[in-house]
Amino acid sequence: MRDIPFSLKLYRWLLRLYPPGFREDYSALMEREFRDELSQSRGVCASARFWLRLMADLAMSIPVQLSREVAQDLRYTLRLWLNRPWQAGFAIAALAIGIGANTGVFSVVNALLLRSLPFREPERLAQLHQFIPPHDTAEQFHDWRQQSTYLADAALFEEIDANLGGGRVGSRAHVAQTSGNFFSLLGVHPALGRTFGPEDDVDGTGWGSPGSNAVAVIGYGLWQQLFGGDPRALGSTIRADGNPLTIIGVAPPEFDYPNKAVLWKPAAFSSGNNGWGTVVRLKPGISWPKARAAFAVESESLVPKPAANDSSSLRPSMTSLQDGLAGPVKDASLLFMGAVVLVLLIACTNVANLLMARTADRAGELSIRSALGASRARLARQLLTECLLLSFAATLAGLLIAYWTTSLAAKVEPPPLVAQSYSILDGRVLAFTLTVSLVTALLSGILPLLFLRRVQRFPARSSSQTRNSRLLREGLACAQVMLTMILLAGSVSVGRAFLHLMRVNRGYDVRGVVTVGVSLEGTTHQLGKRQFSYFEEVLDRIRNLSGVRTASATEFLPLYASGFVGGPFGLDGRPATRSSTMVPILSGYFQTMGGQILYGREFTEAEVRSGAPVAVVNEHFAAGFGVPEAALGHQLTNGSDAWKIVGVVNGMEYETDPTTAHGNQVFVPSTAPGSFSSTFVARVNGRAEDHLAAIRDAVQSVDPQVPVFSAKTMEQRLDEIFAAPKFYRTAIWVFAGFALLLVLIGIYGIVSYAVVQRTQEMGVRMALGRTPVQLRGMLLRHGLRMVAAGAIPGIVGARFTGRLLETLIEGAKSIDMITSAGLFLFVALVASTSIWSGTRRIARLDVTAILRSE
Amino acid sequence: MPAKDQSAGTDLTPLSPAIFHILLSLGEGERHGYAIKREIAARTQGKLKLGPGVLYGSIHKMLELGLIEESADRPDPHLDDERRRYYRITPYGRKVAQAEAVRMRDLVQLAAARFGVAPRHA
Repeated sequence: MRDIPFSLKLYRWLLRLYPPGFREDYSALMEREFRDELSQSRGVCASARFWLRLMADLAMSIPVQLSREVAQDLRYTLRLWLNRPWQAGFAIAALAIGIGANTGVFSVVNALLLRSLPFREPERLAQLHQFIPPHDTAEQFHDWRQQSTYLADAALFEEIDANLGGGRVGSRAHVAQTSGNFFSLLGVHPALGRTFGPEDDVDGTGWGSPGSNAVAVIGYGLWQQLFGGDPRALGSTIRADGNPLTIIGVAPPEFDYPNKAVLWKPAAFSSGNNGWGTVVRLKPGISWPKARAAFAVESESLVPKPAANDSSSLRPSMTSLQDGLAGPVKDASLLFMGAVVLVLLIACTNVANLLMARTADRAGELSIRSALGASRARLARQLLTECLLLSFAATLAGLLIAYWTTSLAAKVEPPPLVAQSYSILDGRVLAFTLTVSLVTALLSGILPLLFLRRVQRFPARSSSQTRNSRLLREGLACAQVMLTMILLAGSVSVGRAFLHLMRVNRGYDVRGVVTVGVSLEGTTHQLGKRQFSYFEEVLDRIRNLSGVRTASATEFLPLYASGFVGGPFGLDGRPATRSSTMVPILSGYFQTMGGQILYGREFTEAEVRSGAPVAVVNEHFAAGFGVPEAALGHQLTNGSDAWKIVGVVNGMEYETDPTTAHGNQVFVPSTAPGSFSSTFVARVNGRAEDHLAAIRDAVQSVDPQVPVFSAKTMEQRLDEIFAAPKFYRTAIWVFAGFALLLVLIGIYGIVSYAVVQRTQEMGVRMALGRTPVQLRGMLLRHGLRMVAAGAIPGIVGARFTGRLLETLIEGAKSIDMITSAGLFLFVALVASTSIWSGTRRIARLDVTAILRSE
Repeated sequence: MPAKDQSAGTDLTPLSPAIFHILLSLGEGERHGYAIKREIAARTQGKLKLGPGVLYGSIHKMLELGLIEESADRPDPHLDDERRRYYRITPYGRKVAQAEAVRMRDLVQLAAARFGVAPRHA
């Protein structure tokens, strides 16, 4: 029987698969039976039968024993929780908020940054900024793209808002005019019909002549809405700003690029148009850095260099389409991801602290049990089961929170269709949640587990163990204070950035301003003098309303200039080098908006009527002349147009993108401000809301055929624009507040536990003449040392994360020393309250009873 | 375990065949695991052969349920092997076994009536 030792070895190894408790009790007996049985099985067949039976036996009994042990651990855990429901509830809630917020924010990051776009090979798609390829004619543009050394393809698009359906009842919709290769470049196939081809490109301005390229591809949603998904939509006519377009195709359901467009039509190429966006596809095999370098070289030769003292002109750049689509939400969601990870870490330390306290409580029992031979692994597994159960319960609750978070995020920053939606029902998101959940369980359990090993190394409870446990727990509290300081400092930075955003001098006064949009496209007022008479008539009626002080009109309002509207301006005959936003306005605009004329004057009504070549520039533009007033009298040129500078104004914040908000601005008089849409503005006495309806009706009354839309006060518009930053600020504050609450509870737990543990010591000290207040003071000093130990690295960490915030959020500044000191004091104060209330038990200690028990 | 002692023993029925057979074996007197196993194999003509895992898994469960207990008394040391553990049935275990037997008898009677099988010792 030479094979017995090996068989036995194998069987012993298999026995290890049983739970340790069972193994300890029965492995010797089982081993013995194994030997007896094996000795009776002679011959190959008998041996084979024996092993088969044995394997079947193991396969049946091991899972049963394992599940029994797990069930036991679960029951034990649930009993523990029922005994202290508040403690368990708190731990689950803390982890649920942490896991839920992480899942929710990750689903946004996933939708925007990780999930690939529904285009062909989306990783090679890019957007060009501050750069428009040659586009005087379709031929010129296509020549350019075909000759490119680094681009496989390029397409142009221009975004506008238009009235669909025609007439005043039509709805306002986002429309893209694109070069013929737009869809083929993206690799998007229509759900129905066809998309554009090279034959759809025409040269000219406006909507193109009917019959040539007066065709359109409509969005899937619009198709459902207008035609109920009827395929006969193909060939029918849709009116955009009154222009009839024949529908040739329907875009696939998930397609709304660029910027939630619902209708696409072929572009008309002309030299005057500077509102183009460019989307490109890199050549196969070319790397991003190489493509960027090639683009830099090309743009250098095509785009004039800015003047040396003109810092505001942005240089051309190339970004991946995915990053471009994520836009402002990208930084915000990354910032949130950081914040929620901190919150989760704090929640984990809190739960770890709680479990540590419980393990320490049971230290005596555990060391006795382990001295009696109880398995350490068994105890550890019990602890781990509790952690897993905690994180499982928290994950379930967290998914609800995540669902709520994503729906909130979708409201604040609706995702573009191409990003599909912020959904938690996504493989990657669920895998993330599962990982977070397991990591949470491990993080919460790891220190208590380490402590458990320490407990069992000592035969009985000793003072050094108690001290070790206390040190560990205090270390955890320090870590919590540190993380909370970072989060608090971040929330202060974000809050300040927001205040800065709201308080910044926008160059106009939002109070008491009413705005009403109109679109003259496709109406009888569309062209020339007739348009101006329409504006005059409307302004007359508005000005005659009671309570209206002044009124004017502009092509676009401050903060509403999306994209690159304007162009390069030359000075006094010198070539164009100053890139600037151009805003066509009527007279009285600055007065109505509450703008400030710094030097010179505003346009007169006569100048507007006669189309005088005069311009007003902003201070930033004028600063290029050294002394701003020196700009007066100089000649501005753009192509063949020229204007004389008659005034300098305090710059108006024209773009929401803060990097370009205070760039160069040139205001020119226009009898037709707005080729696609215009906005009337009126300054009123009293509350702007009270005049809203009257002014809208006055505009409408001039010509019911002209579509009137978005009648809003300037304050309402500002609120809409700043809704997202406001939400970010509030959310960060909520997270910081939650972290602070966790710290408060954590410190309270540690201190009140320390009081219970040191009751006898306190009793003796009181018997020796210390008053309860003195003892509480002693604990307070000790607790504050712990807070300081966490806060100091926290401040250092906050300075580092502050730098990161500076890159992510415009206007955010890393906290200074005074703020750091203030935050430290605040946390210390909050901690003191917590410590003081945690030690109130001392005041009620009965010294005689304690001494008697001694 | 007063609650168990007062119960009719039906709270655990139906029993698994392994547990019922172990109870049957211990009904005769104390046994160690290996003896139980051999007796069951003999009783069932080798149809029920309990492997060590199932045997000691069942014993473990029965100990926990209070159906059996470990016996401190040892037989004659010459006959005994120290490494063996002896088990005996508890009063509660007996009650549960009786309840199971009653359940089986009723079942057999029902089957006999329905399928016309005459009892062996009628």
